Amino acid sequence: MEANQNAGSGVPLLSVRGIYKSFGLNAVLKGIDLDVMPGEVLALIGGNGAGKSTLMKIIMGIYSHDSGRLAMNGEAVALNRPSDALARGIYMVPQEPLLFPNMNVEENITIGFDRGKAELHKELADTMADIGWNLDLGRKASSLSIAEQQLVEILRGILRHARLLILDEPTSALTFDEVKSLFKVVRDLREKGIGIIYITHRLAEVFDIATHVAIMRDGAITIQGPVAGFTREDLVKGLLPPDAEGGVQARAAVESSVDYGADPVLELESFSGYGFSDVSLKVWPGEILGVAGVVGAGRTEMATTIFGMDKVLGGRVLLNGKDITGKRTRQVIAAGLNYVPEDRHLNGLFKICDVAANTTSASLFGGALGKVLLNRRAEYDITEKYVKNFRTKVTGHDQLTGSLSGGNQQKIVIGRSLATNPGIVILDEPTRGIDAAARGDVYNIIHQLREQGLSILLISSDMEELVELADRVVTMYQGRINAEFQKADINQDNLTSAAFGIVEQEAKGA
Amino acid sequence: MNAVKKVLKAREMTALLFLAALFVVVGIINPAFLADSKNVANCFNDSVVYILIAVAMAFAIFIGEIDVSVGSNLGLVAAVVGTMLQDGKNWFLAFFIGILMGTVVGLINGWGVAVMKIPSLIFTLGTNGILRGLMYLQVGTKQVTDLPIGFKGASSYALFGLPLTVCFFCVLLAAAAIHGVLTRTKRGRYFIAVGDNAGGAELVGIPAIRTKVLAYVICGVLCAVAGILFASRAGQVTSQSGNGYEMKAVAACVLGGISLSGGVGSVVGAGIGAVIMASISALLVFMGFSSNFDSAITGVILITIVVVDALVQRRAAVRNRHARLAARTTARTGGKEAAEQ
Amino acid sequence: MSGIFPKLDSQNGLRRLWGGPNFRWNLFLLALLLAECVVFGAANAKFLSLNRVFIAAVGDLPIWFISIFVTFVMITGGIDIQSCAIVGFTSIVIGVGWQAFGMNIWTAAALGVVVATLCGALSGFFVAYCGVQAMVVTLGGSFLYGGLALLVSTLSGTAAYNGISGFPDGFKALAKTTLFGVVPLPIVIFLLLLLCAYLLLHRSKYGRKVFLVGVNPQAAEYSGVNARAVVMSTYVLSGLAAGITGVVMTSQLGIAKSDLGGNFTMMIITACVLGGTLSTGGKGSVIGTALAAVAITLLRFGMPLCFGINKQYLDIPIGVLLVVVVVGRAVAGNPAVAAWLGRLRPKKKSKAGA
Repeated sequence: MEANQNAGSGVPLLSVRGIYKSFGLNAVLKGIDLDVMPGEVLALIGGNGAGKSTLMKIIMGIYSHDSGRLAMNGEAVALNRPSDALARGIYMVPQEPLLFPNMNVEENITIGFDRGKAELHKELADTMADIGWNLDLGRKASSLSIAEQQLVEILRGILRHARLLILDEPTSALTFDEVKSLFKVVRDLREKGIGIIYITHRLAEVFDIATHVAIMRDGAITIQGPVAGFTREDLVKGLLPPDAEGGVQARAAVESSVDYGADPVLELESFSGYGFSDVSLKVWPGEILGVAGVVGAGRTEMATTIFGMDKVLGGRVLLNGKDITGKRTRQVIAAGLNYVPEDRHLNGLFKICDVAANTTSASLFGGALGKVLLNRRAEYDITEKYVKNFRTKVTGHDQLTGSLSGGNQQKIVIGRSLATNPGIVILDEPTRGIDAAARGDVYNIIHQLREQGLSILLISSDMEELVELADRVVTMYQGRINAEFQKADINQDNLTSAAFGIVEQEAKGA
Repeated sequence: MNAVKKVLKAREMTALLFLAALFVVVGIINPAFLADSKNVANCFNDSVVYILIAVAMAFAIFIGEIDVSVGSNLGLVAAVVGTMLQDGKNWFLAFFIGILMGTVVGLINGWGVAVMKIPSLIFTLGTNGILRGLMYLQVGTKQVTDLPIGFKGASSYALFGLPLTVCFFCVLLAAAAIHGVLTRTKRGRYFIAVGDNAGGAELVGIPAIRTKVLAYVICGVLCAVAGILFASRAGQVTSQSGNGYEMKAVAACVLGGISLSGGVGSVVGAGIGAVIMASISALLVFMGFSSNFDSAITGVILITIVVVDALVQRRAAVRNRHARLAARTTARTGGKEAAEQ
Repeated sequence: MSGIFPKLDSQNGLRRLWGGPNFRWNLFLLALLLAECVVFGAANAKFLSLNRVFIAAVGDLPIWFISIFVTFVMITGGIDIQSCAIVGFTSIVIGVGWQAFGMNIWTAAALGVVVATLCGALSGFFVAYCGVQAMVVTLGGSFLYGGLALLVSTLSGTAAYNGISGFPDGFKALAKTTLFGVVPLPIVIFLLLLLCAYLLLHRSKYGRKVFLVGVNPQAAEYSGVNARAVVMSTYVLSGLAAGITGVVMTSQLGIAKSDLGGNFTMMIITACVLGGTLSTGGKGSVIGTALAAVAITLLRFGMPLCFGINKQYLDIPIGVLLVVVVVGRAVAGNPAVAAWLGRLRPKKKSKAGA
């Protein structure tokens, strides 16, 4: 095969040199150099906002780069639009699959091909038999699970004879079994000489699947090379900002000062809903309770159901001893609980509204902002309080929040929830997609709040974050709480293994 | 067997059954309706302009947009072609100019919506005003009435002595041909794909902007053809001709199972919806209602269909979501939700 | 827009008075109005007669009354094309209630307004709670309410095209009365409605919710705002406005007809868009809409008066205005153009300095 010959000659399938990219004043990529050889699985790791997605979009021809060169098989290429990239044999499976929801599976895979329908159908059937996948080709795409949608995307790539396949965090929405079968496919493809860029934020996967690894932080590559040359600790080091380590250690040493003799603020009694089941937990005053787990473990569903967004299927929620089960969002907020959503763009921000309107949006009922007419003075005071306290960088209360950086946006969404004076606040992935400096600010805010006696339910997939902040951690696995760790036992290894369900399996086995 | 199932499950099938049921009900109430095949045939013959305009609108809706200038586009072409014929100009020159105008209108709409990214409702509302005004300029307070007899008669030739006209068959064939192109060819499927998921379409190499512009051009051309047919069938063009057709075209598309959010439906559905829209008046008369009921009943049917459709779709979406979430939860203790399923 | 003009001080009181971010756009509209006055006034001095302007204004009432409330609907991301049908329906309800059922004319008028509000509520319910596109629901609504008006009118015994006439003088006086002998009562009613709409949209907590729901309905829900109820309420308001319009127009013409609302739909939407309302929702101001509505009326009044243009051609300039405004805004909003304009400005400044 051609690809294998290339492997022998040592010409990289894709070669990226000195790529720079800025959006306005925000420099996202600061000189990226990257090579992918045929038959190589390059794991590209980095926190959200490190610039991975931007780099991939440049390779796919969706964005144009400011400076730098791209070459395929040693030959310089200009990728100005997706069709250029497709023609060169690059295919990206995006994190959120972009299927046509009203078409069936086969139409979704074969759209945009020049070849005849019958020929395509045969090749598709052969390919699926070859890989051992079983997917009903007549099903409508809107009825597929995320995993199945990803399979459809990968099939698209294979049928297009892609020589370079980009998988953007493919496992983030998959179950354990689905991850296993995906890995098998990746190995098969690798043997066929296809180059793969595998984007992930899970370090464990790197050692399972990748041949090479590159770590991105703040728009630059910090570590690059064959996987065999690195240990897990090396990779972690590459992900962390150079000065972060000391701070983390120092804070982790702080003793927990929670009074577990008091009455709990929030109590769930075998609480069940769609996506989670039989969850019981208690949060005490001034406590930060971490909720660990992988994406899809039911943590967000639990939080939004408490918050009145979905139907309760069983159990009770007690807030300061008062039953708030199944109450509407507005009543839950009034009772003293607020929630900072995971997806701040979709559920948090009003982008074309100003800072003031965003900060006070949850305070519109009750008397805080006046009875009927808006009290501008009160609005100003509330906004000023949170802008000042959180040191949010804004040009004024009238700046539109869409033009703020991710970190400042997050501060505003947190401020909005705190403006309702809750006794407990649920923070769902509060540092996702924000840079290291803003992350530090958010951590400081959380510490401040705890000192003020506020309770916090901290949902996070970032184990380091939980180690640093939480007084106690429960882990959720497949919709249930499967482990609880006191302050002394909170460490990355414990949390990670519990989040992947390893603890529970061992317990069962014993 | 599979093909039959597919046809029966299609969205446009509901519309077809509805149309058939309508005919049967009217026939039961007033047997005179079905007694003369001309009555049913006339329902079809009278709907040719509506079918074309609905198919034109369908192109705009497929790509997830809308075009409210179809009515005035039709009117303007009818007026220009009518005037030229009245003045004794060459027929083909007149047709050519008319279709050229439709193409230009389509290009302008496509440019505004796809290239400038202006919300289609707003932009086509603007072009609608301009076209309507131009039409007044063309027709003024007079009417275009003195059309050649041959032209007026052309749309009512009967086909081999059948009660249906040649004109209806031509429109039917054209609609079928368009349907074939849209469903069977590579590029034909681009329209639906762009409306279904514009971002995803770009990623598989479909030129979304070009496809949208093309959809508007086809829409404009079909409006122009509808305008010529309109002039021939009505035999006259006034400054009000084509007024309100855009609303009827949208209604026809929705009745025919086309989703206004784009990416769902077929031109066959649009055509069936157009026949329903065009026949309601006549059918009401046969049922002994005054034509005063016409618009109220249209409104009720339209609202009922879209509301039911929206509720069904939303329930399905919620059910899917819940099923997916439930599948992630392990049923360790044989929980309640497991029992429910 | 913010790229084009210098930023104003956030504490600027005047700006808040004008409804926040729409200030500059409103200034532009004001300039447009002045330009119209100057051009038309120069062409024909009759244009400057207040009496004539008021008569023209009263003729365009549906645009003025309804568009300021359709602005609410459009801010939530919806659209309302049924108002004109509701105006006719209200008128017929008044006429039939008074003539065929012997109601007191004011009771009939109140009934008309209630019916109009209910029509708005019904459509609003379908949009907000059933999730149907606003465009289709209100399209169906315009068929339905227009059709119901025709049906109800058959109860009166007079032919539909003649309409119902012979209302008491007291009712007709509603539109004929003038304040200080100059300002017709309908204009006063309009100003009152405008004040209410302004307070409601730009000064009240309800108005803030309308904006939030328009910008991001999900985030509004997460803020505890009942997004569906807010969306529905905007259609109720626009129905109410259509009802009031129906009463005033019936009084003014002295005739109840089902097609009283005419076909002002395009001009109502044009007024909203020209007034700075974002058709995707989240942005808009009633002051802007009102200014735009006045600008449209002046155009419709001035063109025939000063340039002898037939009234029927007026769709052209209004269509051109709409297209130019939306294209212009799209061009100005384009990052490349904004950057170009941004580069242009400092140069000018340095020139002025030198």
